[in-house]
Amino acid sequence: MLQPTTVPERPQRRVGAWWGPAVGISALGFYAVATVDDTAGREIGFNADHPWAVYVFMAALVGLMGYGFVRHAGLWMIGRPTSGLLREVPHRLRNAARLGLAQDKVRRDRYAGIMHWCIFSSIVVLTIVTAQVAIEADSPFKFLHGPYYLFFSFYGDLFGVIGLVGVGMALYRRYFSDFHRIRWDERLEDHLIIVGLGLVLLTGFVLESARIMVTELHQHPDWAKWSFASYAIARGLDVFDFSEKQVLWLHTWVWWVHIAMAFAWLGLIVFTRLDHLFFAPVNAFFLRTDSPGRLAKIDDIEQQEIFGVGYVQDFTWKQLFELDACVRCGRCSEVCPANISGQPLSPMHLIQDLKGHLADVGPAIQRHRHEAGDAGREVSSVALVGDVIKDETLWACRTCGACMQECPVMIEHVPTIVDMRRFLVMNEARIPATAQAALENLEMRGHPWRGTALERTTWMEGLGDVPIFDGSQEYLYWVGCSGSLVERNLPVTKAVFRLLGESGASFGVLGQEETCNGDPARRLGNEYLFQILAQQLIETFKAKNVQKVITNCPHCFNTFKNEYPQFDGHFEVLHHTEFLAGAMQSGKLVAKHSVNTTVTYHDSCYLGRLNGVYDAPRQIISMVHGADLTEMQRNLSKGLCCGAGGGNMWQEEVGERRVNHVRAEEAVRTGAQSVISNCPFCIQMFEDGVPAVHPEEEGRMKPFDVAELLEQAVFGPGTR
Amino acid sequence: MHIVVCAKQIPDPETPPSAFKIDAATNKVVPAQGIAPVLSQFDAIAAEAALRIKEANAGSKVTVISMGAESAQAAIKQVLAMGADEGVLLNDPAFEDGDSHTTATVLAAAIKKLGDVDAVFCGRQAADWDMGQVGLLVAEDLGWPAAIIAKGVTTGAAGLQITRVLEDGFESLEAPLPAVVTVSNEFGEPRYPKLPQIMAAAKKTVTNWKVGDLGLDPGAVGKAGSRLKLEKLFIPEKGGKVELMEGDTPQAQAAALVARLMADKIL
Repeated sequence: MLQPTTVPERPQRRVGAWWGPAVGISALGFYAVATVDDTAGREIGFNADHPWAVYVFMAALVGLMGYGFVRHAGLWMIGRPTSGLLREVPHRLRNAARLGLAQDKVRRDRYAGIMHWCIFSSIVVLTIVTAQVAIEADSPFKFLHGPYYLFFSFYGDLFGVIGLVGVGMALYRRYFSDFHRIRWDERLEDHLIIVGLGLVLLTGFVLESARIMVTELHQHPDWAKWSFASYAIARGLDVFDFSEKQVLWLHTWVWWVHIAMAFAWLGLIVFTRLDHLFFAPVNAFFLRTDSPGRLAKIDDIEQQEIFGVGYVQDFTWKQLFELDACVRCGRCSEVCPANISGQPLSPMHLIQDLKGHLADVGPAIQRHRHEAGDAGREVSSVALVGDVIKDETLWACRTCGACMQECPVMIEHVPTIVDMRRFLVMNEARIPATAQAALENLEMRGHPWRGTALERTTWMEGLGDVPIFDGSQEYLYWVGCSGSLVERNLPVTKAVFRLLGESGASFGVLGQEETCNGDPARRLGNEYLFQILAQQLIETFKAKNVQKVITNCPHCFNTFKNEYPQFDGHFEVLHHTEFLAGAMQSGKLVAKHSVNTTVTYHDSCYLGRLNGVYDAPRQIISMVHGADLTEMQRNLSKGLCCGAGGGNMWQEEVGERRVNHVRAEEAVRTGAQSVISNCPFCIQMFEDGVPAVHPEEEGRMKPFDVAELLEQAVFGPGTR
Repeated sequence: MHIVVCAKQIPDPETPPSAFKIDAATNKVVPAQGIAPVLSQFDAIAAEAALRIKEANAGSKVTVISMGAESAQAAIKQVLAMGADEGVLLNDPAFEDGDSHTTATVLAAAIKKLGDVDAVFCGRQAADWDMGQVGLLVAEDLGWPAAIIAKGVTTGAAGLQITRVLEDGFESLEAPLPAVVTVSNEFGEPRYPKLPQIMAAAKKTVTNWKVGDLGLDPGAVGKAGSRLKLEKLFIPEKGGKVELMEGDTPQAQAAALVARLMADKIL
């Protein structure tokens, strides 16, 4: 009997976050209607000698926001046009609601999620409260009396308290904890925003308490109790026996302070990161609707004059827009494998540097556009690529997508980084030597593994008759360059081959006719080479009537699945773990033998985060009898890259540590005997990383592919 | 300044050993299936040296010439993509199966035909046969001075300023123009072509000269003119032999080993 190990819970979207409180508050509303007489109410604009001042502030605020918007929009518009942002509107609206209003991603950090929800909901509700006061005061529509007035008093106070709880949590994190990421780029505005909001809320309570002391505390204590927090403060202040005149004097002054601070705080929206209030939901609307593993195609590449992004105006306006959404929360940099390893890339600083550069050169570009069309490309002696963003920063990116996964305002860092790499490679030919060697090898030999002594058919030795794909089989088994040309990955290829055969699948391989599908070229920024390789291979596939492909490698998988459709190459693509998990579930493949071992599982970025395949490999492990799975601390969508992604397989690392050493350490910490992955790069990185962090040979963890584990379970240990 | 770069297309030096085959009947290397020939790396470095001089001296021009099969167009295009201005392919059945001497005859004839050439840059040797003679023989045919195995070439007062690699150091030379230089790998890495140049190179047409265009006698070039005769081409067999030292004790075995090594004059 197979004992499935527990597959960890996937992070669930908590749709109910808003419903619980809403139901509770509504119930209280009904209670108010049922129990209270209709005379309850208060004088709007009580004791305020110049209530119209609010509208002066209001007008100033609207003017300021208009100015801010025009200024921002002018900078966005220097970017290139982009298309498709109004396609799939319902999907985009759902994104705006789910990621913008409901803040799904903010909640990936639980503490911040609660804090942000408190502050956000407080501001939303109190804005509605204030708007109702304005309508009651200055329109013929009167409704703030009777039960609704009391209910209104209640939820106004409730969300004031909720807001203060949020502010308290924020103050604690910023000033009393050793929480780092929010201090990586701390500015004056961060203090103003949080302290200011706290003061606005506090003065609001003082104001309400003073009003209650004069009009309700003794006259209508049953009404006053609905404003529960202000009522409590009023009761407290009442002990001091102030005269009514003193209280009214206090009320007048606090009113002015409260109103002035409230509008000043709203004014911060224009000048500080508070502008994410508007930009985050809109950016959620703009968020790509296709796979995050897909990079944009450069159309008509042979007709272009400039390749990729070398100047800030080469970005699309959407890419410039999203710079404004950044709130410097540091979540991207906190999960970035390069940053974690002390290498010269921090996605947050990259975005902020781009934003700063846009502010520096944007106005001059706008003027040049006006005067001389598009003539003045270079308006600054500071180069975007090289000076503002250093070459080594761009090369350190693993394209693992962790930054995009965590970004609560839906910034897409990876395409922006690759755009600048494209400029470096195709326009400037500035490439690290080892990466250049890999690209040259791709051009000359159709694979990135310079110096390999293996052939594409070497792995077939000793396997008997290996079927060559001729169009009559159902599946093409795509071995890939690593699977055939790198010694360590050959056993994986053999394992997958044997398992496919055992499952009874109808499949064939291309053998000598395989060439690289172009993934490393595209990730390294050579889009031109990628397009050539992709088009050649698509032609080969079509000529051979390939319909379904099983890949060894998640990178091949991603390219075939997400990127070949850009070139009219539409194939059904499966990673071997998906196929094998399916074959096991349908009983075509049976894990007869027990494999007594403890394992941990490493999600490759290109199978997991970028393509959402988390379950299939874990299902296989759970169906292997005796394989005991312990998850690493970072797993599933929070998994850490092995260090090889984004062409870093072929680069020298610059920085304090190597990413694969960091990840190997995390794997070793589980105490498992082997680390199981699904990607030839990950396995090579672990082969190198584990001995580095665990020098003693005895008891050292061994890296395996899922297929290698399954091979033992299906055919018995040591049967090859 | 007009520099000619001589470039040779060779079988890929990174061909896996298992795919390298020789046809004993014709004494020729069998082109490995699916493995395209490449530009000899030393010639790419020679091109890099020429292009750096071109960039440092306004109005300069670089022409790449290659003697070889039609496929050598790819090698020429590669140097054009790096930044060379023109390309000439010397492709004629009469040129085939020659030796270093006949190759130099053909290249020198082409250089003479170009006319206004100030310098010729070659790789220190082709990475297939590793003879390292063509550069010197071209200089001989042209009657120009030659400096071989250079790790640095710049323009100087006298013409060219050259740093040569010697076994025990470096040698600095000045050479008058015209001159021939063979460039060594110590010079540095060849550049990665920029895409706009790759596209410009793709549009350029490569001039094709035959034996008649160069005014050469077909009997003096290729196999007919070759002074070097290839007797036999073969892959050397690697082998090892193990001899165990007899003896009852380790001391006796050691003594036998010493005696054996002395007999072979190793000790």
